[in-house]
Amino acid sequence: MKKLIAIVLISVSMVVSVGAQQGDWDPEPDVENVRFEPLHIYVDSGDSSLAAYQFELKDSAGLIEIVGVESGEHAAFSEAPYYDSAALANNRIIIAAFNTTDELPTGRTRVATVHLQIKGDAEPDYELELTIAANADGDEIAAEISFEKGEQK
Amino acid sequence: MKKKIFITLALLTIAATIIAGYFAGCSSRDTSASKAQSVQVAESEHKKDELRYASEANVAFEERNKGISQERANILTRREWTNGSPWSTLFSDNETEASADIHGPKGKASIEAGPSHGPVLGTAPAPTITNCVVTDPKALHYPANWKEIHTKRKGRSKPVPVDLFTVSADEVWVIVKPKAQAVAVDEESPGSGAMLAKLPDEEEEIPLPLKHTDVKGQISGYIATVEVTQQFHNPYDEKIEAVYVFPLPQNAAINEFIMIIGERKIRGIIRERKEAERIYAQAKSQGHVASLLTQERPNIFTQKVANIEPGKEIDVNIKYFNTLAYVDGWYEFVFPMVVGPRYNPPGSTDGVGAVAHGKGGISGQKTEVQYLKPGERSGHDISLAVDIDAGVAIEELVSTNHAITNSTEAAEKRTVKLSSLDSIPNKDFVLRFKVAGKTLKSALVTHRDERGGFFTLMLYPPEDLKYLKRAPMEMIFVLDCSGSMSGKPIAKAKDAITRALKKLEPGDTFQIIRFSSNASQLGPDPVPATPANIRKGLEFVKSLHGSGGTKMIEGIKAALDFEHDPDRFRLVSFMTDGFIGNESQILAAVHERLGESRIFSFGVGSSTNRYLLDRMAKLGKGAVAYMGLDDSVAQVVDPFYDRISHPALADISIDWGGLEVTGVYPSRIPDLFEGRPVIITGKFAGTSDTTIYVSGKIAGEAQDFAIPVNLGEAEAHPGIACVWARKRIETLANRATYNASPDLPGEIKQVALEYSLMSAYTAFVAVDSATKTTGDSGVTVNVPVPVPDGVRYETTVQN
Repeated sequence: MKKLIAIVLISVSMVVSVGAQQGDWDPEPDVENVRFEPLHIYVDSGDSSLAAYQFELKDSAGLIEIVGVESGEHAAFSEAPYYDSAALANNRIIIAAFNTTDELPTGRTRVATVHLQIKGDAEPDYELELTIAANADGDEIAAEISFEKGEQK
Repeated sequence: MKKKIFITLALLTIAATIIAGYFAGCSSRDTSASKAQSVQVAESEHKKDELRYASEANVAFEERNKGISQERANILTRREWTNGSPWSTLFSDNETEASADIHGPKGKASIEAGPSHGPVLGTAPAPTITNCVVTDPKALHYPANWKEIHTKRKGRSKPVPVDLFTVSADEVWVIVKPKAQAVAVDEESPGSGAMLAKLPDEEEEIPLPLKHTDVKGQISGYIATVEVTQQFHNPYDEKIEAVYVFPLPQNAAINEFIMIIGERKIRGIIRERKEAERIYAQAKSQGHVASLLTQERPNIFTQKVANIEPGKEIDVNIKYFNTLAYVDGWYEFVFPMVVGPRYNPPGSTDGVGAVAHGKGGISGQKTEVQYLKPGERSGHDISLAVDIDAGVAIEELVSTNHAITNSTEAAEKRTVKLSSLDSIPNKDFVLRFKVAGKTLKSALVTHRDERGGFFTLMLYPPEDLKYLKRAPMEMIFVLDCSGSMSGKPIAKAKDAITRALKKLEPGDTFQIIRFSSNASQLGPDPVPATPANIRKGLEFVKSLHGSGGTKMIEGIKAALDFEHDPDRFRLVSFMTDGFIGNESQILAAVHERLGESRIFSFGVGSSTNRYLLDRMAKLGKGAVAYMGLDDSVAQVVDPFYDRISHPALADISIDWGGLEVTGVYPSRIPDLFEGRPVIITGKFAGTSDTTIYVSGKIAGEAQDFAIPVNLGEAEAHPGIACVWARKRIETLANRATYNASPDLPGEIKQVALEYSLMSAYTAFVAVDSATKTTGDSGVTVNVPVPVPDGVRYETTVQN
């Protein structure tokens, strides 16, 4: 399979660590030994319309640097999401977006792609937490978040 | 309802930049309605008195003029308004006509004299006055006994001591609002036609990679939100990296950067500059499309886009906020379009080099701008549209350098577009609009997020400043005679000095200094402003021309390194385009040598170095004025003299009432001059309504006024937090020009990263990690730009 796909389902308040390939990795890899990979983020809001979301992405191994955050597949999330610069200054990646129009996605949709620089050859140990998801009325809704690795979607 | 819920959601859960994004998306819907209510008006009893006097005076003036000729009315007016003034010294003997502003006991009048006025310098009799127009209508409206009333009430009719005539270093004061309206240029005239270039392995010449720049501005009150989209493409048969050096306003708080590939939008990330550069280099070497935005000067930036494949297009979108300058009811929106060629002193490497297209590297400078030859065009054009919502009725609107179209949907709103016939980006876009109403009001704008409350306050001076007269001056004119000034710019500057010399008053002294590769001056010391000396000065100015380098440091030394006359207020006027690359050296010299001087910088030309000129004025505790090549000299010089002919409200302190205020910039509130407000920004806590009290002194006497604050009705704007953070960065960076503290870069970096702002120590980088181009990273193609309108290529560009 050309693309390595890992899917993680996470409830609204639960953090799940995805144990991707745990190779031998250098805790302080050569800064020149880097690669760039996207992480496609999906939110499944079931039957509810998804109007807003916020998630936090972590790598317990400390290998990743965010180098871009891309818009989602649905028109409601076609603008590039925002990241929290204050949190990023403290090495936390927090990303969110919202849309108040009537045309909102339901079910599983790719809401963002996070572009990452990965240090060394090891696989990062991603942790993805959906902080909140909300419908068009501003009410919190149950949703699941997951990611896929691979090339452009 | 939805919107409120989402605001709550955002406030509770989403971080600052995310909130900013939400509000930005909603701004067109929710800001205009509250704006009109947001202006806090403080109207004093004194103001009411003035209105009553004005009414009485108008009746008296009209009665007096009934049944007499215009000539007689002029004579009477002249006698009344110029009694005791030394106006006979204001005209030279060879002029066929002349005009001058006179400050009489009742205010100001503009006197015009015809050919029959004869020799008047020295001991000659008074000239024949052909017209006398009262140019200060406020003064006109006072009744005959206004002085007595005013003196009795305020006790402020005495001359103002020298030491009150000061301006703080923290806030720049832009004096001039010329009203010249540009007309469309013919794009088919010389200078048109696309520039072609050839890559090493290509056989044919083809257009360059920057196709178009689109600018969309939204002005809400005195804050502009601007989105700049640069459209790059690759017309070659191999991959390229495009490099473009471009300007933005020096006070732009750049907080968003998005790379657009087809339908895909990738938001760039703010990083420490070195880290961003490293990431970009690594992405480029691995074949990923990537872009990098770095700051070379607060008003000069470099955009790099790597791995653009043949035939592909990549857009870069940059968003910033900035506050508009305001004087006498006029706001000014500026979008610079081209970086002017800088002069770099021999031995420097950290400057901004100006080289011919294809001659990259020959300047030896860290940053280089490549310029097109006269008659060439790159094919790059620009479109620009600005939506204005002033909150109050817009009375007038002018574009001084470009032809525009504008439409009106409501009295307080305008939509302005750059004419398609004027789309060559070779001069600053300067849009000015005059708003209705008196200026005795102070506008508070706020923004709250999880970091706390932020505010900007536009603080206006008391109106009665205009009735008080200035102290004697020691006027030093410093004229840039370098090669970049040759032609139209130096002619304008000489006209300005000529006009200014004629406005000197007995009791003043003056000096004229020229600099290019070296400096020389009219005489060893400033001389009294006698008619004979003014004539000598005029001859000296007439003899000057532009050539050679721009060793501004020599001009700074010559202007500031001599003993101060304690009886006079020393005012140093720099007339320059500011096209130098060693700004920090100049600014450090101003800081070190300023002493009792005040620097008033006059930017001359179509694309001046506004960063340098603004900073010189700020550090020099003075003001700045800009004179375009089509602006009237009188429209620049006369307002300048109007301003300095009155004292300031000095020693200002602010009691913030119930607001708990921190991080206020400028840290020392500048003196308030007539017609010149000051923008103060800071952080605040508290939610209850309160009253802000502003206290100061005029001629040594205390005065205060109140500004009621209703936080519930104050306008909200998402850019306020960025404006505050940008101001903090600017303050720290200014300190760094004369303070070598190792902590300053770290402090700047911390603020810039936290607020996602460009700075000298941070940069935006965006990488498309999802796709990888094949082959090496291709050829680097620099985007050449035209020299600014009016600047000579031959004397400014290395070839």
